[in-house]
Amino acid sequence: MSRDRDQKPVMPRPSGTFPPSEAMLAEPVPDEVQRVQQERLRKAWATPKGWRYWSAVNNSEVGVWYSTTALFFMLAAGVMALLIRLQLAVPENDLIPADRFNQLFTMHGSAMMFLFAVPMFEAISIIILPALLGARDMPFPRLSAFGYWSFLIGGVFVIGSILFDAAPNSGWFMYPPLATKAEGVGSDIWLLGLSFIEIASIAAAVELIVGTLKCRPPGMRVNIMPLYAWYVMVVGGMILFAFPPLIAGDFLFELERSFDWPFFDPERGGDPMLWQHLFWIFGHPEVYIVFLPSIAIAAMIIPTVARRPIVGYSWIVLSAVGTGFLSFGLWVHHMFTTGLPSISLGFFSAASEAVVIPTGIQLFAFLATLMIGRVTMTLPMLWIAGALAVFTMGGLTGVMLAMAPFDFQAHDSYFVVAHLHYTLFGGMIFPVIAGVYYFYPFIRKKKLSERLGRWSFWLIFVGFNVTFLPMHLTGLKGMPRRIYTYPEGIGWDWLNMISTIGAFVIAAGFAVFVWDLFRPKRGQGQVARNPWQAGTLEWSHEIPEEAWGVRSIPHVTSRYPLWDQPQIVERMDAGRYYLPDAEEGKRETLITSVIDAEPLQVQRVTGPAWITHAAAIFTGGTFIFPTFHVYPPAIVCGVLAVACILYWLWTSTARPPEADSKDVGLGLRLPTYASGPASAGWWAMWITMLGDATAFASVIFGFFFYWTARPDFPPDGAAHAEPLLVAIAAGAMAASWALTLWARGANRRGAVSLARGALVAAPLLAGVGGIGLIGSVWTLEPTSHVYPAILWALAIWVVVHTGVGVIMQVYCLAGSIFGKMTPRYDADIWNVSLFWHFHVLSAVVACAVMGFAPGVL
Amino acid sequence: MSEDRQKTRDGEVEEFAEEQASLWRITLSPLAWAAHFVICYGLVALSCAKGLPVESVRQGLIVFSVVVLALIGWIGWRAWRQWDVRETGDYLNQQGKAEDRHRFLGHAAFLLSIISFIGVVFVSLPLLLLEGCG
Ligand code: HEM
Ligand SMILES: [Cu+2]
Repeated sequence: MSRDRDQKPVMPRPSGTFPPSEAMLAEPVPDEVQRVQQERLRKAWATPKGWRYWSAVNNSEVGVWYSTTALFFMLAAGVMALLIRLQLAVPENDLIPADRFNQLFTMHGSAMMFLFAVPMFEAISIIILPALLGARDMPFPRLSAFGYWSFLIGGVFVIGSILFDAAPNSGWFMYPPLATKAEGVGSDIWLLGLSFIEIASIAAAVELIVGTLKCRPPGMRVNIMPLYAWYVMVVGGMILFAFPPLIAGDFLFELERSFDWPFFDPERGGDPMLWQHLFWIFGHPEVYIVFLPSIAIAAMIIPTVARRPIVGYSWIVLSAVGTGFLSFGLWVHHMFTTGLPSISLGFFSAASEAVVIPTGIQLFAFLATLMIGRVTMTLPMLWIAGALAVFTMGGLTGVMLAMAPFDFQAHDSYFVVAHLHYTLFGGMIFPVIAGVYYFYPFIRKKKLSERLGRWSFWLIFVGFNVTFLPMHLTGLKGMPRRIYTYPEGIGWDWLNMISTIGAFVIAAGFAVFVWDLFRPKRGQGQVARNPWQAGTLEWSHEIPEEAWGVRSIPHVTSRYPLWDQPQIVERMDAGRYYLPDAEEGKRETLITSVIDAEPLQVQRVTGPAWITHAAAIFTGGTFIFPTFHVYPPAIVCGVLAVACILYWLWTSTARPPEADSKDVGLGLRLPTYASGPASAGWWAMWITMLGDATAFASVIFGFFFYWTARPDFPPDGAAHAEPLLVAIAAGAMAASWALTLWARGANRRGAVSLARGALVAAPLLAGVGGIGLIGSVWTLEPTSHVYPAILWALAIWVVVHTGVGVIMQVYCLAGSIFGKMTPRYDADIWNVSLFWHFHVLSAVVACAVMGFAPGVL
Repeated sequence: MSEDRQKTRDGEVEEFAEEQASLWRITLSPLAWAAHFVICYGLVALSCAKGLPVESVRQGLIVFSVVVLALIGWIGWRAWRQWDVRETGDYLNQQGKAEDRHRFLGHAAFLLSIISFIGVVFVSLPLLLLEGCG
């Protein structure tokens, strides 16, 4: 152990044999050794008992909480749907007053999309991804736990508002001016509550992406990773680019709600269309963010039931990646009726038709697999079959709607409601339930009932069609969506009655399903270890359950290791593979290379903690207090949240290890510490910043959008940002960035005091930059017109990021002084300089826009 | 493909050395599609809003589309070479070997080029079929 200021550190590299030879693998492990190793592993990974259970961070616990919570929100949103249907069952009904009705459909849609669909994907992935990859856990378990607690707090806050008659009521896409002018706190709850959850979603997405890139088992190259992992990567990437525009939109929207900055108010130069763009740049990819994970579940179930490898692996990868891209070129098809130029509409109509191709390819690959294989109609397969049928129908009506002239007719009618539920049930509900039936033996080590499963399938399937098939007709007969009642005798009555009856049949089906999930299953005995005879690694799980994930991390050489590598499970169990032990009693997992999964490092992962709860509570406070326009407590919460997060990072991430490298088994020795691109933390920073940069780009987009869309931007004779101060700000930021970078090099060279000097100067310069930027807009009046308002918004954005950057620089300085960061163990400053690369770029762009705009426009 | 061509750490075959960049490379064609899409949409919106000569913008964009198509074609051709299915006869590339990974990435990039090509053709159609800002 060397914690002194060693000059010129020598970085240990992986050494020894890889890949392992058959002879090495065949060598038995003595029983006594196995027993001792098991003992130690069990202790290191033990789930806390009693009330401490809730401090667990293990992916198997957090994932189950996460998915149960998302299911609960889904059921709540379902109850709202039933109320909606009750109100619409008969004409001129007065069961629910108009405003309540508005709250109900807004909340139904918002909760289904934000509190159920996306979190459910992340929850299921948190549970199964590490197992699919033979990893012990996610790379950052405390981050998952933090994400979960944030989701819980934010979700309860948002959905609970309906009980207090305070829920948002402007529809799930919150169009201004309706939503900006709405009375009460409903819109604020939507904006701030959901922003909070979106940030948690992004955090989970970052973790999932890093998990697939860096935590695969040795030997699992990209061409043999499970298709599910490909989908996780694609969907994670989409979340990263789709959510930030919405967050940027929320940011502007909330500034308008709270401080009357007129971003969407046409009278003062704003434009409601900007919101529509930002919302749908998020909103359409969102549809695919919801849909692709379900396809991923199908891609796991289908080979198993067909008893053969999937047909067209590369084709499916192509369609996943292709859909991911194309789905970003569709957003304007939600805005066909807003009077955009017809060529523009043409682009989006064309792209909307093009996206059908990759979607179709996936379905055909599945059908081909099923046709070639020997299919057994298991329960999961039944649900998948239902999904294919329903989704195909939704796809057909979707192709119809993608043609702009048809959409002009059907827009905002019940035809659209029918279409969207066909795609959502076929593309999400049915496959997810299939996944629950399929993975339940893995998750709970019990089986669900075959009989109840068939009952609930037929109830939901029939009920669904009874509810939504007639709605196509209701829509074509002219019934608009979002109306709380309708007059008698225009041909809508009986159609609505049928839909309502169907809705209750769906509800009965869900009741059966949920009962089956939670009913006690004591008498059942143990399930078989691999009940479906599947080929992927998650079915090497242990029964009875062990918290360590995998006993030892296997060397994988095939897409279906359990089918093709006959002794793999036996050897995993015996601890023949990597990391079979926890000598230091710490939790560890393997980090491998991105493309070829060559072992690179042993990573310490974090254990149970309460700090994540504190961090989540205070972060929640930071978002929740401003909804009621009380700011001092929000600021206090913000400060405390930052303090909690710093404490958590300081005490448990990138600590200098006891020894530089360790033996991981099979004659391989790996370093225990990595910094820069070799480390998981650096990748997490990189990916997070990509999302952050997207949000920033969206605000910049807003600036140019106003310029193209509005003749009075900037208005004649408007005051501009003070150019000299803008220039000073840009220069100071650039200098601070350069110093940070230089400090990294100096520290690595062993010039520790020089590095510290630079880390003292850098935050000061950054401070000068921040003050300069605020000063440059100080005299502008943001409530008067959108031009000063957006300059202010840009300045705020950059200054807040500068604050984060300064905290990071000081964190490194403290690390250097207190021995957390040394020339050898310098992951922190690598991550911080990465942040600063992005930050300096956005600061310079913002300054350029603010400084040059008056001259150029 | 029966003999084991699994590489070892020292005996790395240069050609199949870990391609750090290759995961990004498979996204090149879709990125070209995305850039084309954004530029078409942005320029048309801009010229309609600011009263620029839409007709010449439209013609310029048609030329631009052809260039992008050529670019994607070129990326696709290189990917086809990397996949090399005519030489190896292996459509699946399903083994845990460096060579399979190399060919698989070629295959995926090739397929993505096809879909991006179609995407660009689709998006260019309005440029050919519609005129003016309407
Ligand atoms: C029990 C099953 C369900 C029933 C009976 C149902 C019923 C309805 C009805 C009647 C509306 C139209 C309200 C109106 O325009 O006045 C609606 C809207 C909507 N539903 Fe559902 N729904 C169900 C499940 C779902 C699911 C599973 C999702 C998504 C995962 C979903 C997402 C939406 C969305 C996004 C809207 C639009 C809300 C808005 O207009 O702002 N629904 N639903
Ligand atoms: Cu859409």
